Amino acid sequence: MTALLEVEDLRVAYGKIEAVKGISFSVEAGQVVTLIGTNGAGKTTTLRTLSGLLKPIGGRVRFDGKVLTRVPAHKIVALGLAHSPEGRHIFPRLTIEENLKLGAYLRKDTTGITKDINRAYDLFPILGERRKQAAGTLSGGEQQMLAMGRALMSQPKLLMLDEPSMGLSPIMMQKIMATIVELKAQGTTILLVEQNAQAALSLADQAHVMEIGTIKLSGTGQDLLHDEGVRKTYLGED
Amino acid sequence: MTDLPIAAAEEAVAATATHGNRRTAPFIPLPLTAARATTLAGAVITIASTFMSWTYTTDFPGDLTVSGYPGGLQIMTLIGAILTGVVALGTFGLTGLRWLTPSRTNNGVLLLALATLGTTWYTVIDIAAKLGGLANLDPGGFVAFIGALVLFAGALALPLDRHPEEPADAEYYELGRAEGISAVVRGYAWLREARLHHSELRVPDARKLNRWLQRLVIVVVYALGLKILTFGLATDYSDIFIGYLIVLAVGVWGLSAGGLLKQFQQLTQHNKKFSSTVGVLTAIAYPFAQNNELWANLGASVLIVGTVALGLNIVVGLTGLLDLGYVAFLGVGAYTAALVSGSPFSIWSGTQFPFWAAALAGMGAACVFGVLIGAPTLRLRGDYLAIVTLGFGEIFRIIVRNLDGVSGPKVTNGPNGIAQIPDLSIFGYNLGDTHSVGSFTLGRFANYYLLMLVITIIVVLVFTRAADSRIGRSWIAIREDETAATAMGINGFRVKLVAFALGASLAGLAGTVFAHVTNSVVPDPYVFSGSVPPNSAFLLAAVVLGGMGTVSGPILGAALLYVIPQKLSFLSQYELFAFGIALILIMRFRPEGIIPNRRRQLEFHEDETPAPGNRPMGDDTVPATTAGA
Amino acid sequence: MHTLPQQLANGLFLGSMYGLIAIGYTMVYGIVQLINFAHGEIFMTGAFGALAVYTNLPSSMSIWAALPLMLVGGAIVSVLIAVGAERFAYRPLRNAPRLAPLITAIGLSLALQQAVFNWYPHATAGKHFPQLPGGPFHIGSVDVQSGDLFLLGAAIVCMIALGVFVRSSRTGRAMQATAQDPDTAKLMGVDTNRIIIIAFAIGGLFAAVAGVAYGLKYGQVKYDIGFQAGLKAFTAAVLGGIGNIYGAMLGGLVLGIAEACATAYIANVPGMEQFGGGAWAQVWAFVLLIVVLLVRPQGLLGERVADRA
Ligand SMILES: Nc1ncnc2c1ncn2[C@@H]1O[C@H](COP(=O)(O)OP(=O)(O)O)[C@@H](O)[C@H]1O
Ligand SMILES: [Mg+2]
Repeated sequence: MTALLEVEDLRVAYGKIEAVKGISFSVEAGQVVTLIGTNGAGKTTTLRTLSGLLKPIGGRVRFDGKVLTRVPAHKIVALGLAHSPEGRHIFPRLTIEENLKLGAYLRKDTTGITKDINRAYDLFPILGERRKQAAGTLSGGEQQMLAMGRALMSQPKLLMLDEPSMGLSPIMMQKIMATIVELKAQGTTILLVEQNAQAALSLADQAHVMEIGTIKLSGTGQDLLHDEGVRKTYLGED
Repeated sequence: MTDLPIAAAEEAVAATATHGNRRTAPFIPLPLTAARATTLAGAVITIASTFMSWTYTTDFPGDLTVSGYPGGLQIMTLIGAILTGVVALGTFGLTGLRWLTPSRTNNGVLLLALATLGTTWYTVIDIAAKLGGLANLDPGGFVAFIGALVLFAGALALPLDRHPEEPADAEYYELGRAEGISAVVRGYAWLREARLHHSELRVPDARKLNRWLQRLVIVVVYALGLKILTFGLATDYSDIFIGYLIVLAVGVWGLSAGGLLKQFQQLTQHNKKFSSTVGVLTAIAYPFAQNNELWANLGASVLIVGTVALGLNIVVGLTGLLDLGYVAFLGVGAYTAALVSGSPFSIWSGTQFPFWAAALAGMGAACVFGVLIGAPTLRLRGDYLAIVTLGFGEIFRIIVRNLDGVSGPKVTNGPNGIAQIPDLSIFGYNLGDTHSVGSFTLGRFANYYLLMLVITIIVVLVFTRAADSRIGRSWIAIREDETAATAMGINGFRVKLVAFALGASLAGLAGTVFAHVTNSVVPDPYVFSGSVPPNSAFLLAAVVLGGMGTVSGPILGAALLYVIPQKLSFLSQYELFAFGIALILIMRFRPEGIIPNRRRQLEFHEDETPAPGNRPMGDDTVPATTAGA
Repeated sequence: MHTLPQQLANGLFLGSMYGLIAIGYTMVYGIVQLINFAHGEIFMTGAFGALAVYTNLPSSMSIWAALPLMLVGGAIVSVLIAVGAERFAYRPLRNAPRLAPLITAIGLSLALQQAVFNWYPHATAGKHFPQLPGGPFHIGSVDVQSGDLFLLGAAIVCMIALGVFVRSSRTGRAMQATAQDPDTAKLMGVDTNRIIIIAFAIGGLFAAVAGVAYGLKYGQVKYDIGFQAGLKAFTAAVLGGIGNIYGAMLGGLVLGIAEACATAYIANVPGMEQFGGGAWAQVWAFVLLIVVLLVRPQGLLGERVADRA
C-alpha cells in the first residue's frame, strides 16, 4: 500500500542557502507522524514547502497519488492537505466565525460547513462563546485552537500542525496536546512539528529527528522516546 | 591591443555542445566553413552595395544616388558591414584581429550583423515608403537588401552561445490558461531556447597589457567616443539619425557580447585616475571640437539635466527613496539665484550676489525645503515619500505662480517669472561674452557649458565620495533591507534625511546655473511631466534608463533622453508616451538600466539564480527568499 | 454663495468624488502594498470611455437613457486597463525591489495620459461632456446642481454595495484575509492572484463612476484631469488610513470639506488675507496631508503603519 504522503529527497533553499538538504519520509493514512528538532533545523521550511508556499529546488512530493511539487499553494488545500502554520496566523481583524468560514473556503456545502463549525465549537467551546469577536483579541492558546479548528474546516486528509504548543502556558499546552490525541482517536492523519519533544513523541506513530536540514534519526515514537541521544538533546536529560 | 593569450577555443564543427548553463548551437544548420563563408560574402556584398546608387532621385535625405561614393545612410550600412566583417574575421581566428572578440563567441558577430541588417533594411524600406514604392530603388538598393540578409543568415549559421535546451517535461505556470495549448507552449519553449547567452563567457585580463598601451587605448577610445558623438549630432536628417542609432546601439551590444566592453571596463578600473582625467579632458574638448553655439547649448543643457539626474540618483539609486518632485528643488535653486541675481524683475533688484554666494544660497534654500519635506515623511514607509514629493513638486509651481502680488504676496512675479537675469561674471570673466582662446572662440553657451562641467565634476565627486563613505554604505544598507540596517544600528531616519537633503541641495546648485543659462525663471517648467526637460518624470526616466546607483548611468540616460527627441523631432509629440512605456519595459526586462550597478543587478535578478538548471519561476511560486516571515 | 452650508455642500460633493477614487488606491494598497500611481489615469480613461460611448449614440437619445450606457462603457475601459496593468505590468514584479513597481506605475500613468492626449480625437484641449438637465435646486440656502446629486448618489450606492460585498460575501472575506495575511490566505485555498485582480477591478469600476460624475459635474474632461484627482484621492486615502475602505471615503469627505472651507474662509484669518481663494486650494490640501502625516501617520481610521522598507 502506498502512503498518503511521500517525501523523497526534498531540497529547499532560501537564495543560495539550503535550509532543507534532501530529506525523505512518508505518512500513512491514519498515522500521526512527528518531526522534531532544534530551532532552525528546517521543519517549518519543510511544511511550507509541502503546502506550496515555498518551491523546492529538488526532490519529489507525492500526496494522495499526485505530485505536488509545482502545484500552487491555493490548489493544494483542495487536494486535502491542510496546514496550520507556525505562529498561528489567524486573521486578526476577522471574527472567529469568519476565520472558520475561511477554513472552509473551497467547500460549497453550506449545511456541512455549518455542521463543521459547530463541531469546532464542540471541540473548543471557548471559540463558540466568542464567535462574533475579532480573532485578534483572543489569547495565544485560544488563537491556536482557532488555527487548528480552521485547518480542520477543509476536511483534510492530512493535517499539518506547526508547533501548536509554541509560547503557550503549560495548562494550555496540555489542552492542545489533549486535542491532538482526540483528533488522532477520531482517525485524523497528522503531521506534527513540535518543540515539545516529549509530548510529541509519546503520541506519534512515527517520528523523525531533523538537524540542520537533514533527518538524523527515524523510528517509532516510543523508540525515539527511549533513545539515549534523543533524551539527551531534546528531552533535556543528562 | 594585440592578441591576448587565450586558451585555444574549440572550433571543431558547428555541432551542439552544452556547458553548464549554456550551449553552443547554430540557428541554421550549416557546416562551419559554409557559415563563415556566407557571413564574409554577405559583408563583402553589403560593402560593395554602398558604392552603388540606391535610388533615382535626390528627394531622399542624404543623396543616395551617387555611384562610387557612399553617402547619407549608406555610410551607416558601410560602417556596420565593415565592422561585422572585421570582427567576424577576428572571431574566425585571423591573427591580428582576434582581439576584437576576446571571448571568442560568435554572438558578437550575429549582433553586429543584426545592426547592419537593421540599418540597411530600415534605409531601403524608408526609401520605398517615403518615395512611394519599390520602383524607386536602384539595383544598389536591392543588392544592399540581399547582402545584409546574406550576412545575417551567415551569422545565424555560426555556432552561437545560447540558453540550454528546455527540459521535455517543463511546465510553464506563467502562461496561465494558455498552458493548455501545446502550440503556445512549444513556441514559448522555443523562444526561451533561442535566447542568446554570453554573459558568463570569460575574457582574458586586459590589465596584463603594457601600462602605456593601456593608457593609449583609453585615450583612443575616448577620442573615438567624442568623434562618434559629434558625428551623430551632425546628422542633419532624422532618417540618418535613426540609422545611426541602430548601428550604434546594436553595434555596442555586439561589441560587448564579444567582451571588448568588459576589457575596457577593466582598463578604466585599473587606471582610474588616468581615465577620469582623460574623460574630463574629452568633455572639455567638446566645445572646442566644433564651433557651434547650438551644440554648446545642447551640451550645457545635457550637463544640467545630467547633473540633476545624478543628484536624484543619490536619493533614488543609492538610498532607494522615490522622489517624484525632484525638479522642484531645481526650481528652488533657480528662483533663489534669480532673486539675488540683480535682475530688475526681482523684488530685491538691488542685490546682486557673486556667483559663489548665489550658488550657496540656492543650495541652502533647496536643502531647507528638502528637510521640511523629508522630516515628516521619511519616518514613514517609503511609498509615502513618493506621494508627498509628488505633491510638493506640484504645489511648488502653484505657489510661485501665486506669489505675483494678486493671488498672493508679490515675490516671484507669478506666471511672468523673473526675466532679464544678467549673465554670470566669475573673476571678471563674463560668461555672456564671446572669448577667444588661442584660435578658438568660446560663445556664451560654450562658457556656460564649461561652468556646468565644473559643477558636474563637483557633483560626481560628491556622489562617489559619499557612495564610498560610511554614510553611503548606510544608504545602500537601507536600500537593500531597512529592517536589517536598523537592526545593525543605523539610524534610518537620519541617514535617509541626509540623502534626501543632499540630493535636494545638489539640485539647488544646478538650479542656480540653470537660471542664468536661460536668462529667466518661470513656473511652468517645474512640472511632474511635461514636453520640455527637465521635469521630474524626465529625470526619473534618465536615472532608471541609465542605471540606478551608478555615476555615468544617469548622465548617459539624461543625454540620450535629451538628444534623441531633439534629433527625431517628429517624435516629440510622443516623447512622454515613449518615456512611460520605456519605464515599464525597463522595469520588466532590464531593471538595472543600461549601465548596471553590479550590486543592484544581483538584487534585481536574485530570484533567477537560485538553483542550477532552474529557470525563473511562475507567478504563483514565491522564491523562498521573499516568502519568509 | 459663500454661506457655510453652501461650502459644506460643495466640500461634500468634491469629497465624494475624492472618496470614490480613493477606494481604488486603498484597496490595492491594502492587498499588495502598492501605490498604484496610474489610478488617477484610470479615472481619466473611465471618463473618456463614457464620453466615447456618448459620442457614438444617436443624438436623439436622452441623457437619462444614455447615462447607464456611458457608465458601462467607462467601467469597461477602466476595469480593463486596471486589470491589464495588474496582470502584465505589476504582477511580474511582485517579488522585485519595492521601487520597481512604483516606477512602473509612474510609467503607466504617463503612458495612459499621453495615449489619450495623442490618440483620443481632439483630446489635446478640454472635451465637452454632456450635462444632466434640471437644477440648480435650492435646498434651504444651498444651491445644488443635478451633476452633484448624481455624484452624491453614486458615492452612497457604491459605498454601501462595497461594504456589503466585503463584509458578507465569500470573496469579500477572502479579500480581507488576503489583505491581512496573504500566505495564510493561500493556505485556506484562496487564489490570491484572483483576489488582487478583483481589487484592481473594483478600484477601476469606482474610478469610472467617479470619472463620469466628474464629467457631469464640470461639463468637460481633459487628458490631464487624472493627475490632480489622483493626487487628491491618494491624499484622501492616506488621510482616512490607507487600506481601510471606509477611511478612504471619510478621508475624501474631510479633504473635500477642508478644501472648500479653506478656499472660502482662509482669507478671513488675520495675516492670511492673501492666501485664500481657489488658487491656494491645492496648497492647503497639501499642508493638510503633511500635518496628518506628522500627527497621525496611520490616518483617521487606520491602524498603526509600520515603518517598513
Ligand atoms: N525567510 C527566510 N529567509 C532566509 N532564511 C530562512 C528563512 N526562514 C528560515 N530560514 C532559515 O532556514 C533554516 C530553517 O528554518 P526553519 O525551517 O524555520 O526551522 P525550524 O522550523 O526547524 O525552526 C534556518 O537556518 C533559518 O535561519
Ligand atoms: Mg519552525
